[in-house]
Amino acid sequence: MDTPFQIVVCAGLVPDPLQTLEPAAGPAGPVLKNEMMLPLVIDPWAAHALFEAAALAKRFPGSKVWLVSLAPRAKLQQVMMTVAQKAAFELVALDSPAGGFTESAEIAAEIAAAIERLPGIDKSRLLVFGGWESASRGTGTTLQTVGERLGIFEQFQGVDRLDMAPDGAFQVIERIEGGRHQASACSGLPAVFGWATGELPEPPNNPQIGMANMRTVMPALNRARPVKIANEGLSFARVTAPNQRRDTKIIKDMAPGQIAREIVDWIGPEQ
Amino acid sequence: MNTRLSTEVDIVCVGFGPATGGFLAELARRCTGGSRPPPFVICYERSDDIGFGVSGVVTPARAIKASFPGFDLAEIPMATPVRHEHVAYLLDPVGASRRSWAVRAADATIVRAMRWALPFQTEALQLPWTPSFLRKEGGVVLSIGQFMQWVAGQVTGSGQIQIWPSMPVASPLLDGDSVVGVRLIDQGTDRQGNPVEGFTPGMDIKAQLTVVGDGPIGTVGRQLDERFGLPEGHNRDDWAVGMKMVVELPSHCGLEAGTVLHTFGYPEPEIFGFLYVHPGGIASLGIFVPSTFDNPARTAYRYLQHWMRHPYLWRHLEGGRLRSWGAKSLLESGRRGEPHLVGDGFARIGEGSGSTNMLTGSGVDEAWATGVLLAEGVAELWEANRPFTRANLHEAYVQRRRASWVETEGRIAEKARGGFQKGFIRGLIGMGVAGLSGGRLSVRGRPAPPHRRLPTIEEYYRGRIPSSEIDRMREESLTNGIPLHESLMKRAGWPAIPLDGKLLMSHQDALLVGGKVQAPSGYADHVVFIDSAACEKCGTRICIDACSGQAIAAGPDGKVAFDREKCIHCGVCLWNCSQARPGDSERGNIEVKAGAGGLHSAEN
Amino acid sequence: METILFLAHTEADGSLCRAALESLGAARTLAAALPDCRLVAGLVGGDVRAAADAIAGCGAVRILGVSGAPFAVSRYFTDAEAATALGRASGASVVVAPATSRWNRALAGAAHRLGGRIDAHATAIGAADGSPAVTRWYYRQRLEAVVCRKLRPWFILLDPGCAQPWTGPSGAAAIESVEVAPSTASKTTVVGVRSPQADLQTIRPDAKLLFVAGAGWTKVQPDGKAHGRDAEELILNFLRRTKASLGSTKSLVDLSGEGQAILGFMTHMNQVGQTGSTPRHAKGLATCCHGEEPHTVGWRFVTERRAVNLNPNCGWAQGKADVLYVADAFAVMREVEALLGARARTP
Repeated sequence: MDTPFQIVVCAGLVPDPLQTLEPAAGPAGPVLKNEMMLPLVIDPWAAHALFEAAALAKRFPGSKVWLVSLAPRAKLQQVMMTVAQKAAFELVALDSPAGGFTESAEIAAEIAAAIERLPGIDKSRLLVFGGWESASRGTGTTLQTVGERLGIFEQFQGVDRLDMAPDGAFQVIERIEGGRHQASACSGLPAVFGWATGELPEPPNNPQIGMANMRTVMPALNRARPVKIANEGLSFARVTAPNQRRDTKIIKDMAPGQIAREIVDWIGPEQ
Repeated sequence: MNTRLSTEVDIVCVGFGPATGGFLAELARRCTGGSRPPPFVICYERSDDIGFGVSGVVTPARAIKASFPGFDLAEIPMATPVRHEHVAYLLDPVGASRRSWAVRAADATIVRAMRWALPFQTEALQLPWTPSFLRKEGGVVLSIGQFMQWVAGQVTGSGQIQIWPSMPVASPLLDGDSVVGVRLIDQGTDRQGNPVEGFTPGMDIKAQLTVVGDGPIGTVGRQLDERFGLPEGHNRDDWAVGMKMVVELPSHCGLEAGTVLHTFGYPEPEIFGFLYVHPGGIASLGIFVPSTFDNPARTAYRYLQHWMRHPYLWRHLEGGRLRSWGAKSLLESGRRGEPHLVGDGFARIGEGSGSTNMLTGSGVDEAWATGVLLAEGVAELWEANRPFTRANLHEAYVQRRRASWVETEGRIAEKARGGFQKGFIRGLIGMGVAGLSGGRLSVRGRPAPPHRRLPTIEEYYRGRIPSSEIDRMREESLTNGIPLHESLMKRAGWPAIPLDGKLLMSHQDALLVGGKVQAPSGYADHVVFIDSAACEKCGTRICIDACSGQAIAAGPDGKVAFDREKCIHCGVCLWNCSQARPGDSERGNIEVKAGAGGLHSAEN
Repeated sequence: METILFLAHTEADGSLCRAALESLGAARTLAAALPDCRLVAGLVGGDVRAAADAIAGCGAVRILGVSGAPFAVSRYFTDAEAATALGRASGASVVVAPATSRWNRALAGAAHRLGGRIDAHATAIGAADGSPAVTRWYYRQRLEAVVCRKLRPWFILLDPGCAQPWTGPSGAAAIESVEVAPSTASKTTVVGVRSPQADLQTIRPDAKLLFVAGAGWTKVQPDGKAHGRDAEELILNFLRRTKASLGSTKSLVDLSGEGQAILGFMTHMNQVGQTGSTPRHAKGLATCCHGEEPHTVGWRFVTERRAVNLNPNCGWAQGKADVLYVADAFAVMREVEALLGARARTP
């Protein structure tokens, strides 16, 4: 079957953003306290990448979206119950305890290998999507390494919009300093895209998509390869949850005019 | 996408709590390897993830253990076997509680005077034995949130059962008197429910059987009640709000994992408290404030704080840290609130079907058991290819239920709480009498719906606070936004809570820190005030004070405003409205529909 | 013995940006702290002459350069090639580079090609046991760790504002030119830079003041009404007068995207914390925001903090701010506007 585009979205799991986190010592390095009990979600920027992938696949019928995720299997199963209602994809699961303290380069190696193994993968039609950095490790380096291992040297990070032409040429904007974007044009695939928020709203929950996805998600989870990340040569001298506690001066019963004067003085002259 | 989509499954379940958990676990067991391929089952759950919308703590776990023989429940995070149990009667060290003269007299004369002879410690009287109906020995202390996550993983493994959180169900689909499935809520609307960009009408899920396990305030269950009425003599006017914290105990606390404490008597005689200790120095603790506690300006949160500060408890808690917080409504009517359990195409399970036993103070195991009983019946019908008619379901499920311990114990409990409608001592006596006599003896009482029963604030505080002062407090509360109950409680003698930002914190902090409460945009408000004229003339406005999340506030033009982002879906507003719905003397002016969002904690 | 490569790209005008000079400062400090360590500089750009001369006196034993038109633009293909070539040519075991958007894009690729490892968004580079030790944040700045590595080369990308910039004499640098001739050409052409319209520019990372607006601006006020229009006006006027940068909480940004015409100038770009940015302004003023953890996650690097909130028990009161004014932000900002307006009119 001729698939116009093949979009592989790489996404990890991160703790639900409002959770209070504390470090703890694990057998192989630092972990989060009560890590198994924290509610997890799909990484927010990677989720944007998934929505963009779904939108792109819709624009070019026949395109296929994969979701490759390296995470603890049981947790991935649970997160699928929310994510799988959002966009159609085929899941490729790698079973491993992964989090902020696991080594980006080693995770990238596993993900790249999994992508190479995808049946029918055609690099001339391949887009590798992901979040430009994760809410766990936050390095913004995993996607680049995946690309390198796949021999993909056209890469874009902090992407907010991708305009794709049917022949695989595209225009893209990436976030740069000062709230601005850099615009680039590229004459063909394959390419790697680390997404920022993009421009799409979160899609509604679609039960039909969910049901269709689940028929492949459960088998994929059952097939998930257990993977060991060694964190070779990596050690942590110290992990803390810094508690910046200031001595707050609480001012009540001051008239707004007086408060305003204090604030204006504090701000100082215009720069 | 603007057209309403429709799909068909074999069985659709509404709500993923212990009842549906029991149903799916048992169904999965029975329908594999049968002569027919197993049914395709989908379960829709309102809350944003598995484990967020449920709460429960200590359970004898008879039915649960039967479903997973050989599995050690203690393998689930936060679980531990019950080791020690105590019941304590708390005296009032502050002097502000509304104990009747009879209770005060008893406190002063019997309890205090005889304290050297009684097991009296830190302003409390620990009962020398735990009444049999409260005993949880052989049971488990666990976090239902964690348990449900584990159950979800178990039952979805085969792919024949799918569970979808973040997908509230709006209503049952009816064809005449038959339920033919459910309709999901619309997405992409403004707060009033009008379509905006990205509007997607809720999908119709057709099914041969609709299993309704949506809890005590579940909208599908209540719509069925509206449609079919309740059985003769049944009513659902006995409620409680359970508000709970999961706390990291301070290092000096010596309580062992598996310790179970129950309290009564303080901060008000009607308020029951509980503290259960999990492994790892964590405890779940909280209070039940029953609907018989007819203070029209009450907030469970403030009472929870006072309860924690009672010396009997504070000695264990001081220096602790809040981890998680939430609240839910409990349908204390129990067996007396049981709806029609089955009909053509549907069956009811769980707390919404009246399974909660307020005498033993348990609901999880009962709910699970009703799910299991339904699954046994459904599996039989499915194997025999018999339709899910009312008659067949009655035979396959209702009769099983009637023959079970859920029924037997539910009948005893039915008699128990009647006394409380006539006062605390009567209630206690009633509970004790019914409990200890196995239900053979009881003190009768017939509750009235809240809008017929709740006094005005002036009436409630008559003799303590002059009504002119109450008027002034009302004015102040409107202008400076301080909740009315704060002023009232202060005036009634309740001390200020010394906030430490760690365990004792403001209500809003508890929402954010403990509950991580959120609401996604694009959905209609799920709490609706039906007749605004009724709100405008309502003097009491209990809803504002009683709201567990402070999500209800005085709005513009005398109306009442609802903030979805603070709502934890406890449903307390539903049974605390002091105004009747126009044209319906049985129901209050507030409607609670299915909504997305709420707590983001799976520790409850 | 480590060889530290200070690796930087030039700006469009051939100079080195402040972040680059900060990394140079950090690289020098690190070199001094490690035993028997030498510092090499590597520059990438259209023409690196000016930059090389500017750092001629920095103590680097060699200054390497990759120049040419392909390297004048911010592009993965050519930047990865250039950085790899410089890494090889220098024999670097540690690479210290500024975490600019250009380098954030490409250096992970270079690290991979050289068989090394990379740590991005470092906030401090120290030394421990004769090796570098990098401090960085995890989990959106909720945890902080010090990382040590054995594998080499070790690329370290230092976030802006985390070290003192090198300020030394310029001179005539002796540049060793490093040839980069990739086997294929890049398919990517950089078209240009897009800025938001000037009057909508609310993101100013170099401003002295960060003004954070929380969801409280859009909520029903004590008078029972919402005042979205007033809120917009007050906020925009304040930004205009003070040239402060605007940050917002996630909830406010989500509200702004809900199709409601409240604070229409807010976008996800303004969002601070969570999936938002990490501001480093000297002063931060938070209004109508509760100050609980998610709201303050992006505030780690804001030095002086004040907040205006009606709730005296909000998160700001509990150690997150220096001063909390318990007051109505609408009233306060109206008075601020009056004062600033009067000040503007006074010659």
